[in-house]
Amino acid sequence: MIFDLIVNEEPIHTEAPADISLLHFLRDHLKLTGTKEGCNVGECGACSVLLDGKLVNSCLILAAQANGRRVVTIEGIHAEDGGPNDLQQAFIEYGAVQCGFCIPGMVLAGEALLNSNINPTRAEIREAIAGNLCRCTGYQQIVDAIQATALKRQEKGRRD
Amino acid sequence: MERFGYVRAATISEALTFLNQPGYKNRPLAGSTDLVLLLRRNPDLCDRVVDISLIPEMHTIEKTGNDVIIGASASFSEIISNPIIRETGPILVEACKTVGATQIRNMGTIGGNVANAAACADSLPALVCLDAMARVLTPSEEFNWTVSELVISPNKTRIPAGGLLVSLRYTIPPSGTRGVFLKLGRRNAMAISRLTVAALGRLDENGRIADARFVTGSAAPQICRFKDVETSLLGQVPTPALMLAAGKLATEEMIRLSGYRWSSEYKVPALAAMTSRALSRVFQVREPSGEVV
Repeated sequence: MIFDLIVNEEPIHTEAPADISLLHFLRDHLKLTGTKEGCNVGECGACSVLLDGKLVNSCLILAAQANGRRVVTIEGIHAEDGGPNDLQQAFIEYGAVQCGFCIPGMVLAGEALLNSNINPTRAEIREAIAGNLCRCTGYQQIVDAIQATALKRQEKGRRD
Repeated sequence: MERFGYVRAATISEALTFLNQPGYKNRPLAGSTDLVLLLRRNPDLCDRVVDISLIPEMHTIEKTGNDVIIGASASFSEIISNPIIRETGPILVEACKTVGATQIRNMGTIGGNVANAAACADSLPALVCLDAMARVLTPSEEFNWTVSELVISPNKTRIPAGGLLVSLRYTIPPSGTRGVFLKLGRRNAMAISRLTVAALGRLDENGRIADARFVTGSAAPQICRFKDVETSLLGQVPTPALMLAAGKLATEEMIRLSGYRWSSEYKVPALAAMTSRALSRVFQVREPSGEVV
């Protein structure tokens, strides 16, 4: 089928089968391999992307369902100069990245939370990443990084 | 080769046309979280999916008189954040909050949870506790069943081939009604429920129980109100002893409905404790301490 959608702010026009998951469409057809395949059954969150601004598991959704809509993958999250944004920088500073496999999904879960709640409690942060498994860090550093970014964005909001 | 095709419906009537178009083996696709996995295991399930998740009229949540109508394509997240349901059916909000994690709640729909009818579906006990009705349409007929009637057994419903569950409806419980939903899983997030209980009740002006509704999930093949438990409570003054006795009755009703299974040894004490805990919270009495019945 013909696909017309917006991925990371860029219009995409391409042909792909109707029966593939959004995850495989992104990785195999658009070569956006930042989105990871972990469990492929919606348990681990490594494949998380934003669909019309909402966090979803791209392994559990058909690419066809995203047709005509807006998708943001980890490749679409960066600073203006193309380097890491403030949340990604905080992940580095707080030691929230070890093997790195879960991080694209974690960053998108963090962005989804901060887009809707600029002042989350630690419990709210833990709830927001509850669908994202990390087998390395023990989560504390990830929660710290998201919390630090929330505080920085609040300060920036007050300054602007 | 594509194992199945995809078509997106813009309206309910278009969805019904697609679902009944000759030459196709159709299947409605709502949140996709269950169906995508089913199709991977069983590619013969259908040769075309009809996407009903973007039909605006199936996302409406509205109050009509004393009833609340929820479009079947409303996601768990939409229900959790909806002010009408938070005010009139908080037990359903609590149940939806326990589903999966953010990603699943953003995609999964209340209609999909009902139509898929898993024994462990988290919204079902809350909907049955609210005496919710399900509206099912075919091109020529309309059916209105209680959710309890609609779900025949795990993964089996009365929805006819080519039919579509379009909405759910509950009557707002009288003021003073309190509801409690409890879920037992192996962890807090992403957990398949091992047991759930939904309880709803109200006291009269003399402090006696005027209304008691009690449903468990993942406990029996049919999802239904536990009448013995409810009858034991009606007209009584709530006490911790009454709540403990209700817990024991709930386990007896579970065994009667599902037989004594390998899991019963675990489920009996768990259900007894969850029942008395939930009912104690509904009727505001001291929770019985961890006694095993």
